[in-house]
Amino acid sequence: MPTITVDGRQVRVEEGRTILQALDDAGLLMDGVDVPHYCWHPGLAVDGSCRLCQVEVEGLGGLQIACNTPVADGMVVHTTSDRVRDARAGVMELLLVNHPLDCPICDQAGECKLQDYAFEYGAAGARTREPRRALQKRVPLGPTIVLDQERCILCRRCVRFCREVTGTGELGIANRGDRSVIETFPGVELDNPYSMNVADICPVGALTTRDFRFKVRVWFLEERPGICTGCARGCNVWLGVAHGEVQRYTARRNDRVNGSWICDAGRLSYREIAAPDRLRTPLVRGEDGVLRSAELDVALDAATRRLRELIDAKGPGMLAALASAHLTNEDLAALRRLLDRLGVDAAGLTLVMGEGDDLLVHPEKGANAAGARAAGFGDPAPILERLRGGGLEGLIVLGHDLLHPTLLGSPDALDDLATLIVLDTHRSELERVADVVIPGRHLAEKGGTLVNAEGVVQEVAAAVEPPFPATAQAEVLDRLAEALAPRLAQAGGDG
Amino acid sequence: MVIPEAARDAIDAAIGRYPEPRAALLPALHIVQRELGCVPLEAARELAAIFAVAPVEVLELLSFYNLFRVEPGGRHRVNVCTNLPCSLRGARALLRGLEAHLGVAAGETTRDGRITLGHEECLGACAWAPMLRIDGDYHENLDLEDAKRLLDGLE
Ligand code: SF4
Ligand code: SF4
Ligand code: FES
Repeated sequence: MPTITVDGRQVRVEEGRTILQALDDAGLLMDGVDVPHYCWHPGLAVDGSCRLCQVEVEGLGGLQIACNTPVADGMVVHTTSDRVRDARAGVMELLLVNHPLDCPICDQAGECKLQDYAFEYGAAGARTREPRRALQKRVPLGPTIVLDQERCILCRRCVRFCREVTGTGELGIANRGDRSVIETFPGVELDNPYSMNVADICPVGALTTRDFRFKVRVWFLEERPGICTGCARGCNVWLGVAHGEVQRYTARRNDRVNGSWICDAGRLSYREIAAPDRLRTPLVRGEDGVLRSAELDVALDAATRRLRELIDAKGPGMLAALASAHLTNEDLAALRRLLDRLGVDAAGLTLVMGEGDDLLVHPEKGANAAGARAAGFGDPAPILERLRGGGLEGLIVLGHDLLHPTLLGSPDALDDLATLIVLDTHRSELERVADVVIPGRHLAEKGGTLVNAEGVVQEVAAAVEPPFPATAQAEVLDRLAEALAPRLAQAGGDG
Repeated sequence: MVIPEAARDAIDAAIGRYPEPRAALLPALHIVQRELGCVPLEAARELAAIFAVAPVEVLELLSFYNLFRVEPGGRHRVNVCTNLPCSLRGARALLRGLEAHLGVAAGETTRDGRITLGHEECLGACAWAPMLRIDGDYHENLDLEDAKRLLDGLE
């Protein structure tokens, strides 16, 4: 392995990498060694167009662009010399010649690399007197993205993303020189399942998502690490939190899981957290058959009573549990504890299957299907069979994936159950037949551990509080288990 | 199909001349323009299919060079060089004068479809600045009156 010296620090690098790649591999880029760059991106091929990453390499004349200069054993690189700083200042001056400087109304302001480096290397004033180029400020490129041509610095990241990553190739640079603009071919929109990543990688405010545009000033956002629950990929995301609510997801780089990308559907799934159909209160069915909101204690009492009666009358063999693939390992472990105490064996995983692709989207629609299988929640078919045939008296359901057409479809088959206890995050048709419904927390509100389709175990912390009282599923289940314990201890004595 | 059969054959022949088929895209644009007078978007789309690239990549190339046009111009193309040496010798005034004479702005075509007026970067005739190009031919060391006479003589 060749070794290079960067600002006096020895870095062991892999053959064939460029200086910038080697720094990134070593985890030093912008985290120990600052080499500002616009066009280079770890998930894209080298472009070498922005010239900001220039560094001094001993023995080579002029400055070299770090993104495209291959490492060689013994290479000595300087990234902080006056020459380098002057070069960066020069590049910044040129990039700013035509920039509209409309930061006050720009969504990127506050997380903009042009602002950051102008602040660090830029001059206080412009030396040009020519008018700045006037271009289109809001070009809809497709259903998800809006382009501001004036702010674009032509780094081609968006163009390369569409060519190299999605292979859809919707974007290009039309014209030449100071007339260059990002364009789509007339009649062809930027429209692919990953389109919104271009807003993440655009270093300036040229590309914005229709979803987040003008929603919140980014300096009000606190970025907290999270995981998308959309499918078994378990992509890493940043949750942008402001005013106690998740305002957006952006991709959080994890080369073992999702690289630097997330899919559009996953990106927009933050909306599920504060969705109007969130289950906001426990519900208990009264003697008169009407489901009414209740305190959690009351709901837990009702659930305990019903489960106890059922087991006393029919034994644990007539009870089953179905868990959704969205639950965390912690939730599943708690469910397992409860089932063990009740002596219930029948436990299945309600996993919805859908479309997948060869980039990220996985056909298993649930972030913890692998974790659930590892915890012993498997094929739900035998349980579904018994439900359809009236061979069960009671059911504990976590999540409503069970209602997916590929599983049970409608809740009708649950009509005959003596006891149906539901723990869920969102409202569903299950309310029609449930005896007790208890609201749980979204992953973003409770954190936990998930195992993705490749077996990568990922843990995240809670990022927001639910805007209504909701208790993490694991805690609800543990409280149920505890309430049922005396009866079970007694049952144990009997046995 | 807007690209005629003969042009298609010429494009295939051009592709055969390069190790990387894509390299023939530029010659292909010339072939199409020679054949159709311009490269309409529909032809660009067909070229994209032939070269297995996204249509916007053809547009990139097409719009990079101001030799190509997507709409048919006038019967004659008159381009005034406005690079530095020509400009120092009055090319900008020459262009403004011709705009006034023809009643169009640079980039536009006269209403009778006779002339598309434009400006151009250096054509390597600086020693005889200012100059303009009518279709393929250079006309050098001009003043406005010479230039008007030249244009008036065009069919
Ligand atoms: S729109 Fe953004 S990502 Fe695309 S070239 Fe311009 S600055 Fe780069
Ligand atoms: S690929 Fe799956 S996990 Fe990743 S963002 Fe999309 S839905 Fe979420
Ligand atoms: S990052 Fe190296 S030239 Fe742009």
